[in-house]
Amino acid sequence: MKLRIAVIAILCIGLFCSASMLSNQTYAQGKRDVSANGPVVMPKITVLNPMGTPPPITLVPQASRLGTLEGKTIYFINTGYIGTDRLMSVMMDWFKANYPKTNIVYKDNTSGAGLAEISKALWTEISEKGDAAIVGLGH
Amino acid sequence: MKKPAVPLILNDFEKQEKEVSLNLGMPGLRIQYFRGPVWGKTNEQLRKQIVEGNNPITGKPVMPELVEKLVKPLTAEEQKTGTLQQNMGPKTYTGTPDELQKLFLQKRYTDFLPVVLPTEDKVAEMLKFTSHQPTEVLGKMNPGSEAGEAWTYTVKDAAISAVMAGAQPEYFPVILALGSTGMTAVNVSDNGFMAGAVINGKIRDEIGLNYKEGAVGPYAQANTTIGRAWSLLSINGGNCGKVGTTYMGTIGNPMNLIGIIIAENEEKSPFKPLSVRRGFKEGENIVTLFMGWGILSAKNWAADVWGPNMNYPGIIKEIYNTQDGSLFGTCVVLSPPVANFVKDAGYDTVEKFTEWVTGLQPGAKPAPRGNLNSGIRMSGGTFTVIVTGGSNNNYFSMGGMVPSQSVPIDKWR
Repeated sequence: MKLRIAVIAILCIGLFCSASMLSNQTYAQGKRDVSANGPVVMPKITVLNPMGTPPPITLVPQASRLGTLEGKTIYFINTGYIGTDRLMSVMMDWFKANYPKTNIVYKDNTSGAGLAEISKALWTEISEKGDAAIVGLGH
Repeated sequence: MKKPAVPLILNDFEKQEKEVSLNLGMPGLRIQYFRGPVWGKTNEQLRKQIVEGNNPITGKPVMPELVEKLVKPLTAEEQKTGTLQQNMGPKTYTGTPDELQKLFLQKRYTDFLPVVLPTEDKVAEMLKFTSHQPTEVLGKMNPGSEAGEAWTYTVKDAAISAVMAGAQPEYFPVILALGSTGMTAVNVSDNGFMAGAVINGKIRDEIGLNYKEGAVGPYAQANTTIGRAWSLLSINGGNCGKVGTTYMGTIGNPMNLIGIIIAENEEKSPFKPLSVRRGFKEGENIVTLFMGWGILSAKNWAADVWGPNMNYPGIIKEIYNTQDGSLFGTCVVLSPPVANFVKDAGYDTVEKFTEWVTGLQPGAKPAPRGNLNSGIRMSGGTFTVIVTGGSNNNYFSMGGMVPSQSVPIDKWR
């Protein structure tokens, strides 16, 4: 009985060792393949750039600056975004306190739609009667 | 005008405004930035935070900085003229698939998900499903509002984005129809708009659009990849979806990834298809574009209205009357069972149901938008009905979306 158990145990151990050696051989064989042939390199492919085309940009020089605010007329334009009227009110108070010789004109273009909705008439008025504009674009 | 002007803008928009200024030809535009938001603050708060505060970008006091922008002479750079051509990079890229996935991610060609890499072969397969030339200009698109100028994209550009999205070539005519409108799927607005489309006609079955259970969900290849292709075309063709410049949603909107692509369940609907109600012939392959907030709202689940005896028309009317439709109106997506409840209640056409819900005569416009400061409650605005989905329960979805345009699909085959 003890002999039979010992034989079975030896056979099991033998089987285990063979299996281990086999997997090690396979692993070693695999490693040998990688190391023998160098690292596996993925093939390169060529793909297309997906971007569309923006329009060219034409540079526009900015308008000349005033040099001084004294004696000038500054337009404050509210384009209608919520809260712009309050912001401009406190800003104009500051201008009146700090630049008393500057003429401040407030215009309320309350379309809420930004720069594009400022009327041509208003731009014309500023060109004719004003020296500069501060535009409240929103947020 | 030829007079100096200084815009006042929140510092959070600096990155966007630099790009906008460049696009307008004034890369050095003198903008006065300040800390916001402005909305909701008292005069006293605005005085302390802005007038007496500093520009968060430069650290300098706002008001003296503003004056400087008006009076200090221009630099040579600010007076430059000429034309700038923007470099869009090479026409092709070569690398391993892993390298290219990383490159596309870095260059913001993607929606941050892996893409199907657009090889010439794959794009050629996609192009087989249209008779239009690859070099044909498909459309011009900007991100919406005044945030960017319109970029131009071709049929081939659309094919590239369609491949990247994982779309099958047979979906391409629908994708082209969407792209031909120039409407972005990824709007810049800080409100966080979404875009959607409703597809009618035999093409639904032809390309396997889902209009049964899960109809508006993402688990159908055609619905999902068509929406993704439209988004990717918006990102790449229209320069949309770039956080900080052309994507400024304060919270953002998760529906911008693939939009909402709906195929109507025409077979189970008791009503005429949306496309027929918009003037097209029965059976024509039409896509109708939408924009808005989406179609889900907690209002759909008002307390004490769900029980054994359901008054669906009444529930829908109540939601319409209590939501603000001033921007995008009201859109209701009815499952076929609920559509049949509406019909059985006596509204056998969408027109009759609309008249009852809105109180407006056919063709009449909803009340104009009121003053946000007046306390006047807004009406639900326009009212649009879509029928889709399964018959496994009596559900509907209701939100804010408004149809913009309907375009035929077959001309893009």
